[in-house]
Amino acid sequence: MPENISNKYDAVVIGGGIAGQETALNLADMDYKVLLVEKELSIGGKMIQLSKVFPTLDCAACITTPKMSETARHPNITLMLNTDVIETVKTNGHFDITLNIRPRYVDEALCTGCQQCEWVCPKVVEDSYNSNMVGRKAISIPFSLANPKIAAIDMEQCLHCKKCEKVCVPKAIDYNMQPKRVNVEATSVIVSTGFNLFKPKNKPQYGYGKYPNVIDAMQMDRLIAPTRPYNSLLRPGDGKVPDNIAYILCTGSRDSSIENAMGCSAECSNNPICSQICCMYSIKQAQLLMGALPLADITIYYMDIRAFGKGYEEFYQQAKSMGVNFIKGKVAKVTPKEDNSGNLILRYEDVATGKLKEVKHDLVVLSVGVLPNSGIVKTFTNQKLELDDQRFIKQVDELVSPSLTSIEGVFVAGTAAGPKDIPDSILSAGSAASEAASYIKRFSN
Amino acid sequence: MSPLNDDKDSITSSFYLTKQTSFRIAMKQRIGVYICHCGGNISDYVDVEQLSKLIANEDNVVISKDVMFACSDSTQKDMVQDINDQKLDAIVVASCTPKLHTHTFRNVAIRAGLNPYNYTQVNVREQCSWAHSDKPMDATIKAYGLIRAGINRVKYSEALENIEITAQKAVGVIGAGISGMRAAVDLARMGNHVYLIEKEANVGGRVAESGKLFMTGENGKDVIDRLYKRIKEIPEITVFTNANLDKVSGSIGDFTLEVSVKDEALKLNVGAVLVTTGFDFYQPKEGEYGYKLSDNVITLQQFNKLIETSNDKLVYNGNAIKSVAYIYCVGSRQSKGENKYCSRQCCSAAIHSSLNVHEKFSGVKAFHLYRDIRTYGKQELLYTESSRKGDIYIKYEEKEPPAVEVKNNKTVITVKDYLTYKKELSFDVDLVVLVTGMVPRSDSNDISSKLKIPTGSDRFFNEIHPKLKPVETVIKGVYIGGTCQGPKNITESVQSSLAAASKINTILRKGTLELEPIVARVNAETCLWCEKCAAVCEYDAIKPIESNGKMIAQVNTSTCVGCGICGPVCPSNSIEIVQFTDNEIESMIDGFMEKAEINTKQDSQENEISSGKQIKLNGFPKIWREIASALDDKTLTIPQLSEQLGVESNVLTWHLMTMNRYGVVEPAGLDEDEAYYMYKLKK
Amino acid sequence: METQEFKPRILVFSTDKISDPGIDQAGLRKIHYSPSVYTISIPCSSGIKPRWILHAFEQGFDGVFIAADGTECSYSSKCSEHTNSIIVEAQKIMKERNINTKRIRMAAICSVCAEPFVNHISTFSKILQDLGSIKNEIAEHKAPSLS
Ligand SMILES: Cc1cc2nc3c(=O)[nH]c(=O)nc-3n(C[C@H](O)[C@H](O)[C@H](O)COP(=O)(O)OP(=O)(O)OC[C@H]3O[C@@H](n4cnc5c(N)ncnc54)[C@H](O)[C@@H]3O)c2cc1C
Ligand code: SF4
Ligand code: SF4
Ligand code: SF4
Repeated sequence: MPENISNKYDAVVIGGGIAGQETALNLADMDYKVLLVEKELSIGGKMIQLSKVFPTLDCAACITTPKMSETARHPNITLMLNTDVIETVKTNGHFDITLNIRPRYVDEALCTGCQQCEWVCPKVVEDSYNSNMVGRKAISIPFSLANPKIAAIDMEQCLHCKKCEKVCVPKAIDYNMQPKRVNVEATSVIVSTGFNLFKPKNKPQYGYGKYPNVIDAMQMDRLIAPTRPYNSLLRPGDGKVPDNIAYILCTGSRDSSIENAMGCSAECSNNPICSQICCMYSIKQAQLLMGALPLADITIYYMDIRAFGKGYEEFYQQAKSMGVNFIKGKVAKVTPKEDNSGNLILRYEDVATGKLKEVKHDLVVLSVGVLPNSGIVKTFTNQKLELDDQRFIKQVDELVSPSLTSIEGVFVAGTAAGPKDIPDSILSAGSAASEAASYIKRFSN
Repeated sequence: MSPLNDDKDSITSSFYLTKQTSFRIAMKQRIGVYICHCGGNISDYVDVEQLSKLIANEDNVVISKDVMFACSDSTQKDMVQDINDQKLDAIVVASCTPKLHTHTFRNVAIRAGLNPYNYTQVNVREQCSWAHSDKPMDATIKAYGLIRAGINRVKYSEALENIEITAQKAVGVIGAGISGMRAAVDLARMGNHVYLIEKEANVGGRVAESGKLFMTGENGKDVIDRLYKRIKEIPEITVFTNANLDKVSGSIGDFTLEVSVKDEALKLNVGAVLVTTGFDFYQPKEGEYGYKLSDNVITLQQFNKLIETSNDKLVYNGNAIKSVAYIYCVGSRQSKGENKYCSRQCCSAAIHSSLNVHEKFSGVKAFHLYRDIRTYGKQELLYTESSRKGDIYIKYEEKEPPAVEVKNNKTVITVKDYLTYKKELSFDVDLVVLVTGMVPRSDSNDISSKLKIPTGSDRFFNEIHPKLKPVETVIKGVYIGGTCQGPKNITESVQSSLAAASKINTILRKGTLELEPIVARVNAETCLWCEKCAAVCEYDAIKPIESNGKMIAQVNTSTCVGCGICGPVCPSNSIEIVQFTDNEIESMIDGFMEKAEINTKQDSQENEISSGKQIKLNGFPKIWREIASALDDKTLTIPQLSEQLGVESNVLTWHLMTMNRYGVVEPAGLDEDEAYYMYKLKK
Repeated sequence: METQEFKPRILVFSTDKISDPGIDQAGLRKIHYSPSVYTISIPCSSGIKPRWILHAFEQGFDGVFIAADGTECSYSSKCSEHTNSIIVEAQKIMKERNINTKRIRMAAICSVCAEPFVNHISTFSKILQDLGSIKNEIAEHKAPSLS
């Protein structure tokens, strides 16, 4: 991190997904000094992992990468990556924030992002950017569209063979880098920590984690993205080109049976609400799959199709006319076919006929839902940042001032306050910026 | 130059080839060129040292250097010094993609007192050394062409200044519904004057007419009262009611809104305009589900009023209401009709009304005849609650809509229920409520034509791009918020109008606006004002003006976005974009094609590189080495490899794909029948 | 590696925000394509003047490839139409000059479309290889030049 940066900001934005970037850019364009804190090695959030995005089917990267570079380059924005918020204390109307920058073991100022180190590194680890469907090296650039494009070492996996150090021309690698504590002072805080995806293992009847050809929707978005992990669109179980794909909607959403099944904690508890994005992203993926695999059959098992936004209903009708098969029915169970083919049997109740049916598919996609990611509230120590019943950040004046939270001066943007698609996340970020700017202005005159 | 080009006298076969006659500029004479090694990323493949020597001999090049890291602090300092010492009038940096360091080197120029536009970036990394790392010789030749093109281009470069315009720190907000009112508050809090212009006698729009609202349970009128009270406390907001927008002129930073308030005509000077004119409710046609044919068929709005105004008992037309059927999607999702879209908030609104009925009156049975229940997000809780209260849900499909008939004084509904295998149900109810959708306001054409806002196929106002520019319109300085852009609930409407308020504040905050100088310009001598350019310009940036006794096109530099769409359509080639002029583009093409006298000592280097880049698998996972030796000269599929090595096929896939990614193996065709790819070792 | 006696030279027009980053991705991921491909990046493919295309042919480029934004264009929703009509216009002039109209080609390239770009270029190269050098066509037919 740049050492010479002042430690006073008009706003600290926590979380660098699309909502956080949009809020930071709006405030920075108003000449406010913004610190953007991101826990990962690159900004971008979930959106940078996506293939194309509904309803216009433009490529996610084409929309996000320019935003990311604008954010990274903006003279009023300081980025702090690989950083955790330790504590936020409100005193005399401002916030004292303690941050911890974890070491990446590569000097940001020196690394040119050339990837020489990555090619020679012999240690292969899971590539989380690709939802672990492929490997990457213990030292690597987080992903090809990362910003900043700087390598990092996964120290837990590193073999200390020093091969990377030898090939790095600018001598950027530093195995002894230490974590760093930073204290900053801010007039306002914007929480844009996004959401977690439902972990499909918590729905054991669908076989995720047991049968390699049951994947979740984020994995499918990676498989169809131009920056995909495989040479083509293949199923992870055995590299076959799939031709009969099923989607199970509302996996982990609109569902109050999870707790009972698992007897587990907040991580995987009941989720009575609808996740708002999974119908549409599944329809999107179905359309993209029709393009990539023109001969494949695609079936979407749903409860209701919630195509509510501008252009969404039209997008749904288009998928139907392209030949995507929509079946209203609840899937009870997924089991493997007994012939070692890697194919799967889906058992469901068909609402149209009232009959229990079994069908074969060669790839099953679980359209997993949106869960809150609100661990950040614990770091607000002397005032309480309240959560709503679903454990999203509570909007205290939802109708009139949707970004206000229970602490004056703390605002919420994007999916941190509840499920949203990208257009809605961007609008909510704009509105958080408007609230925050109005608030900061009070202090500047 | 091409030999053909000297043939000055020949006739053009098409007017599209006319050469421009004016816009002559002084060519740059003292150019500095910096070629980056990028610590080997470039210099491992491209012979940058040789190139920098060759480039030194180019016309008008005063300095040519190869540098280890062009972006490093020390090199930047050297460049500043060179510009000053050698009186350079332009610089070229050949390094990585312009997306990375354009700003870095523009700033170097600025620090040295050189105009930042007298610098050209040449991409010899992403589009040369890396793309052609397999052919270093050819990469060097290409880099030579690319750099010469950059030099040619910079010779024609012009010093440009950002366009600065004064911006009125005042905003006209059209429509004082909740979106407009709420945006007015923040715009004022952020330091702008706001004129809130409302057509009706009262502020508050549809929310003011509503009773209890989902999801908070607040009363609509209370919400508006609270907001209006706040507005009245802010002196920077001027509210006009009974006000009509008559005319709009001017452009970003300086619009004039002509507004008549009762008999008074006002002229308001504003820097930006926010349109928040809202929506109309869909009006069912006579006979649509018995509307107007039966007294017992009403719309959801009428029903909500009824709930509001009834006490103790739900009574309509003197009859106690004990059963209600809600028919959803009335006027929405019409696959054959005009309104193809979903109106987004009506499912939740209808269910919320039903819950209000249960709360206020007991013993009212509810039947919901729906197509899909779209209580997305937390609104799902309303649906769950209503099901728990015993509401009955019946799913119909558009092709078999429910029928509403009056038989023996009873309102009878017949519908096929898709939840019970299309069983036909017939029952009578006391009241039928049509859940009507949102449509664009009947007067929205008037607004859109005055402000030149385009509408989409759904007839709502259209943003430029749903994700990149969701509240911006193609008219710079004109923004849209709330439901005039498309159906939304209250929270979403407020979010969008506040997002617009943010964007407006970013442009008005300083009182002056700086715009990039990359815009179109017109050659006054040759322009004939044929209007072709104005016709294609989507930003309304071209207007006629008189010059030397004739009409010519004039570009409004504050609204032009520099897309260049006007360029190719001009029959006399009289309009162009700075930085992308014929001279610049055509001289680049010349630069690519000039013969390169490159020393070809490269053979040895080529071998060295290919062997240097061979991945040695020592130290790599054992399974990689096993896969590599199993493949050897063969091509195999994943199941074949899996069987041969006795490794589970998903584990094998994972490793093989990782090897594919790091260039150890590559696909060797698809076995169509089996639907498996074959793989081989990459040589 | 087979050696081709004739390597067609291709001029690519790309766009600053979308297709040029896509072409960069090919480099970044070391997906190789022919080194006789040169790229000029401009704001929007709808701004390419036919005379630039003709100039490229006269200077010895064997083909011109337009890496357009398609529906992703942030300037105009009619971008593809505009670009198409530019190509039609250019092809008219090419016909007059006996330049084979197949020497111009357009495809939408997104900002991560590294592979599609490389595939388009290799298909196009094959077409141009069959057509042979532009020099044959331009030399055959002494065309009037740009005035
Ligand atoms: C499979 C799938 C497909 C989708 N497809 C589409 C689509 O086609 N169209 C569409 O509109 N939407 C789509 N979406 C939805 C879209 O991903 C979300 O709307 C969007 O990503 C929300 O952005 P966000 O910024 O709110 O959250 P996120 O993207 O989750 O970003 C949150 C950021 O905050 C960081 N962070 C979290 N906690 C902390 C902390 N404590 N400290 C610091 N940083 C933190 C995270 O690392 C992350 O960078 C899809 C979603 C999925 C899962
Ligand atoms: S650490 Fe060194 S070798 Fe690795 S990417 Fe950065 S500069 Fe290249
Ligand atoms: S958006 Fe669709 S799939 Fe997702 S939870 Fe809601 S109804 Fe289910
Ligand atoms: S460059 Fe684009 S915005 Fe500017 S005048 Fe031409 S067509 Fe209009």
